[in-house]
Amino acid sequence: MTGFVVRRLIQVLLALLGVSIIVFALIHLVPGDPVRVALGTRFDQEIYDRLVQRAGLDKPLLEQYFSWLSNALTGDLGVSFRSGRPVTAVVLERLPATITLAFGALFVALVISIPVGIVSAVRSGSKLDYVATAASQVGVSVPDFWAGIMYILLFALTLSWLPPSGYVSFAESPWEWVRHLVLPAVTVGLISGSILTRFVRSAVLEALNQDYVRTARAKGLPESRIIRKHVLPNAWIPIVTVIGLQLGFLLGGVVVVEVIFAWPGLGRLALIAVQDRDFTVLQGAVLYIAFMFLMINLVVDLLYAYLDPRVKYE
Amino acid sequence: MKKKRNRVVAWIGIVLVLAMIATACGGGEEVDLGDAAVTTTAATGGGATPTTSGSTATTSGDTGGGGGVLVAAQGAEPDRFDPHLTSAYASFQVLENVYDTLVQPGADLQMEPALAESWTISTDNLTWTFKMREGVKWHNGRDFVAEDVAYSFNRILDPDVGAANAWRFGSVESVTAVDDMTLEIKLNRPTPNLLVSIGGFKGMSIIPKEIVDDGTIDTFPIGTGPFKFVSFSPGDGVVLERNDDYWREGLPYLDGVQFVAIPDPTVKLTNLQTGEVHWVDSVPPEQIESLESDSGVVVDRASGGDYHYFALNQNREPFDDVNVRRAIAMAIDRDEITLAAQFGAATANQAAIPQGNFWYEAIAPFATSDTAQAQQLLADAGVEDLTIEFLVTSDFPETVTQAQVISAQLADIGVTVEIRDVDFTTWLADEAEGNFDAFMLSWIGNIDPDDFYYAQHHSTGGFNFQGYANPEVDSLLDAARVETDQGARKALYDQAAALIINDASYIYLYNPDNISAWLPDVTGYAVRGDNAVRFEETQLNR
Repeated sequence: MTGFVVRRLIQVLLALLGVSIIVFALIHLVPGDPVRVALGTRFDQEIYDRLVQRAGLDKPLLEQYFSWLSNALTGDLGVSFRSGRPVTAVVLERLPATITLAFGALFVALVISIPVGIVSAVRSGSKLDYVATAASQVGVSVPDFWAGIMYILLFALTLSWLPPSGYVSFAESPWEWVRHLVLPAVTVGLISGSILTRFVRSAVLEALNQDYVRTARAKGLPESRIIRKHVLPNAWIPIVTVIGLQLGFLLGGVVVVEVIFAWPGLGRLALIAVQDRDFTVLQGAVLYIAFMFLMINLVVDLLYAYLDPRVKYE
Repeated sequence: MKKKRNRVVAWIGIVLVLAMIATACGGGEEVDLGDAAVTTTAATGGGATPTTSGSTATTSGDTGGGGGVLVAAQGAEPDRFDPHLTSAYASFQVLENVYDTLVQPGADLQMEPALAESWTISTDNLTWTFKMREGVKWHNGRDFVAEDVAYSFNRILDPDVGAANAWRFGSVESVTAVDDMTLEIKLNRPTPNLLVSIGGFKGMSIIPKEIVDDGTIDTFPIGTGPFKFVSFSPGDGVVLERNDDYWREGLPYLDGVQFVAIPDPTVKLTNLQTGEVHWVDSVPPEQIESLESDSGVVVDRASGGDYHYFALNQNREPFDDVNVRRAIAMAIDRDEITLAAQFGAATANQAAIPQGNFWYEAIAPFATSDTAQAQQLLADAGVEDLTIEFLVTSDFPETVTQAQVISAQLADIGVTVEIRDVDFTTWLADEAEGNFDAFMLSWIGNIDPDDFYYAQHHSTGGFNFQGYANPEVDSLLDAARVETDQGARKALYDQAAALIINDASYIYLYNPDNISAWLPDVTGYAVRGDNAVRFEETQLNR
């Protein structure tokens, strides 16, 4: 068990290293540099050259990468070109909003997908199943930027039930926190929920077709007990896997929805960093996103051992 | 038993991993939010809700105040608060209300006294002596002195600081404080536009040395302006409160201002219509008509010195031929472009400077959509099957629209336009490297004609990316730079402008209106020609 965790953590470190190389290479492949962006539209060439030199941007790319890496290994992710503030602080101040939206959206997704998925699997082929399948198809297909604007126009402008955009921290006002969270969480949650519904349905369907379910039916167990004791426990593993992936995806920030709802999350930060070629902030944000993703995967793997007694990690 | 132990081990593992995630999130460096974090919640109540935020403000006694807290929506988030280092409009919207300059543009964009009360110019025009305003206090309580101005200007001049605005001091030899109330600026050539250079823009703000020394300038700016900085966070935006010691007696009226960033234009307007915010910074031109018919919203516009243009790469054939450039300049229809890109909220212009400006001169040599003459010019130049690669950026979507309209217009003279739409940072790099047949953008915030022409059209100009070189224009621009007689100076610029336009160095298109909108409760605000956002005279009637 401990050995397994240690091995996985080493893999995580290697993966992060790979991610940092890819991000570094990609952002240097596109034209433009942060100094030009920071200076705006009008400046003297002398100032530009001096800033480029001071930021080390005139050095060979490999040297730039290794100097960043050696600092990163000591926990120093550098300073944002754009704001002049430490990258760690810039990324951390975005986390509360990101985590709030991720779990809010996941909550919406689970509330919809678990019951709907189970019912449509159990009643597979029924009208209800068709309606649920069609609805989830719609949910996956509707673009989030359009849906978001529609919710704002309906619930904020026309009905005045909810604020159109913005984020209020829980500490400031729990009630306003919830009110501001509803629309973005629903926008994202409906999409995640539609994806999850299909996975829940197919996982439960598969478990329903197993021999032990036939056996259980043969020995006369009531259907509800079969679902609870035999089907669901076996369906959990694929479902938990997909939930983990969805959560990892959501914790990386949802760029379009964050822009529409003026949500101060990681996605918007990463978007601005790309636009401004703010290398250090982008590296910091992407490393955090990758780290969360990998850690959630690890948690999911460990959950397998809990959910399925046959799974053992040595 | 074995099974149970397995589960326990798994749980311990899960808890360990979660703990690691938690420490990874919370660990590392301490986040320094300054004093700001403490006061944020107290000042703003329910985020962007004007009614709650206003209620917590205390009414101050005799000198105005008691005006509530205005919630202003801006299209982007400020990047930093050091006025000498930021180039972001969102930052300047805030800093406009926190800092002062030595002199400042009035509503008519003529320079007026601000921190300097008066000034004199030596007979050789090389020494300017400024008298400081008495009784001005920094937001931290310290008295403002001339040494603060000398410090600020020398900081901008210091190449190690990397202030983009150093170019505005091109003719400045030295800046020294003679005594607490007197500042002397020595020049290496007469500089008739010195006032515009040192005060036309908040990038030239006067700052106190102490916030540079302690490193708080980017997180907690301290100025002499009408509002004091309170806090900034990505969620709450920027919170400002009234400066009771502001040097303009009785101002400001508001208790405070909160800036919130709302990037999507539709959502920003929805926030205005639902009353979540009182004021929005810019209105997309296509929305003006529907907003103006909405009695719940006030829309205001003003035209300033901004202009939209495109330029052909004179380092490439056949655009080095002036007749080819002229052919293109006369084949287009500026009214059509203006209507398509700005829905009429702009004035077509073949010159850079708009009518109404002191420096305006009617120069319009080109007919509109003169396809016959344009085709003749191209034929004479021996140009056939011309294709122009047009560099535009969807970060400024009007450039894409304009290129599409121009593409259709130039098709009439057999010229093909290939539109290359890139992000703005790529655009800037391509422009600087000369990687274009034509590029299109706008210049904003210009006040003095030197800003309009020198960097763009002088053969040594830093932004002459189109490669224009006309010795006559060079000598006119050099002479106008040092001409102290206003009338003679204008005559020089009129001549230079006529040449620039006739040579189609830039092909000017139009001057756009600056547009803002607010709720009817807001009074005492007007859109300015330089797009500066100032709330010192604004009131909120509740």
